[in-house]
Amino acid sequence: MFAGVINNQPMQNTTYKVVLPFYTYAALSLFAACFLLLISTGSFTGHYFNPHILAITHMMALGWGTMIILGAGYQLIPVLIEKSLYSIKLANWSFFLAATGIPLLAYGFYNFDMGWPAKWGGRLVFISVSLFVINLAKSIQKSKNRNVHAWFMLAASVWLFVTALYGLVLVYNFTFPIYKRNHIELIPLHAHTGVIGWFLLLVIGVGSKLIPMFMISKYTNSKQLWLIFLLINTALVLFISLYIFKAANAIFFFPVVMLLTSLIVFAQYCYKSYKQRIRKQVDEQMKLSLLSLLMMLLPVAVIFFLIGLFVSGKEDMRIVLLYGFVIFFGWITAIIFGMTFKTLPFIVWNKVYGKIAGLGKTPGPKDLYSERLFAAMSVSYLAGFVIFIAGILTIEKVVLTIGSSLLLLSALLYCVNAGKLIFHKAF
Amino acid sequence: MINVISNNKLKSTIALAALQNVIDPEIGISVVDLGLIYQIDFEETEHKIFVTMTLTTQFCPMGESLTGAVKRAIEHTFVKEEAIVELTFDPPWTHGRISEEGKQFLNR
Repeated sequence: MFAGVINNQPMQNTTYKVVLPFYTYAALSLFAACFLLLISTGSFTGHYFNPHILAITHMMALGWGTMIILGAGYQLIPVLIEKSLYSIKLANWSFFLAATGIPLLAYGFYNFDMGWPAKWGGRLVFISVSLFVINLAKSIQKSKNRNVHAWFMLAASVWLFVTALYGLVLVYNFTFPIYKRNHIELIPLHAHTGVIGWFLLLVIGVGSKLIPMFMISKYTNSKQLWLIFLLINTALVLFISLYIFKAANAIFFFPVVMLLTSLIVFAQYCYKSYKQRIRKQVDEQMKLSLLSLLMMLLPVAVIFFLIGLFVSGKEDMRIVLLYGFVIFFGWITAIIFGMTFKTLPFIVWNKVYGKIAGLGKTPGPKDLYSERLFAAMSVSYLAGFVIFIAGILTIEKVVLTIGSSLLLLSALLYCVNAGKLIFHKAF
Repeated sequence: MINVISNNKLKSTIALAALQNVIDPEIGISVVDLGLIYQIDFEETEHKIFVTMTLTTQFCPMGESLTGAVKRAIEHTFVKEEAIVELTFDPPWTHGRISEEGKQFLNR
């Protein structure tokens, strides 16, 4: 007999009942954010500190990016830490609280009503995030396998907690001034703890596990991943310190160079995984996900340019708008588009066919959604993304409208295809 | 050639043929070609078939479906027997366990 027979059932994975509401909510949020983008194109010809832009950014960051990552996170935590999720109840509560808080917050920003809607929205999102952090920390605590991926997730969730807490403080700062500094000056800290601390750390932590797994690659290198972990966290802490102590603009190149180095090391990790893959075919979803990793370099290039402008004493609002746009509508959206149709089909397949597999032929996960819709969504998305960038740079409302219409179309196609999957019934 | 231990060569051949229909939905090849099946033992007196298998990763999201599918496929073939599927991660699965047919499929 083989040693270490554990039982006649695999370790318990998170049920689809926890995960699917997050995916559904995220799809609807993306559609809502793209709709707001279309009706607010005029806002993209001025300053970034604008109620409509704040509402769209929070719909994208929380409703779209964070909700889908929380949902996928609850599914992937057991895979990453090799232990079941600590609490399903906490996961469900984190959904209900965030699902209620996000529209309130977006409504508050859109109408610039920093009274009860924004305050309650901020409070609910903060509690939801806290529940996620507790659930993850408790899950890791009971796991013996504290690998590098688990550390990425834990650190990312701590940064998310910091971002949500600081965001809540900023909401209060509108009505009860807590900080002496101008409100606009406080935003970069909130934005970068969220984008780098939460999104970037999490995407790399999870991606470094999933990319080799989906390509069936032999490549593994935890030393490289620890180096990336160290570089990103140090860069972020350095950025925060420099910002708080109002360092000279030129010094901000240091954290950006550290960040760029970490992305180059991660690109090398992905390339080696790709080269050592056993499965030769790379599907469209993986191609889009890999493309999104290259798109990470775009915001870094923009921030280099932006710091260069600041150093030379210039300020260009278009570049600031471009920076935020390429993060939320570029890199984050592209990776979610790719990974949704890599993970969601398996969750749905498990739900619908898991109990009858082995008794006859069943459709595969790839048969549960439309590849044609996926291709149309990708084309519409990439075209919309490029055209909207052109609109930001030329300050042309017509170009912005064409770009945002294409992005809205891609969001619609995404919702239809995701809905086709989520509501799939056995053939 | 797939290396599966068994106390009954003939019956294990029939069982493995049945398990060729249990496809890993992510990878697209059978659990046999993937090298997930380690051992199949037949307890004639108790009418039980013990299948020892592994997963590509301990918390494989498809784990429950795969072990369930293996149980159903065996019981569908040996209708009077009860299949008991046991999971082990010692030794862990490696790419080296993929059969030549499986590698050819993945190389396409």
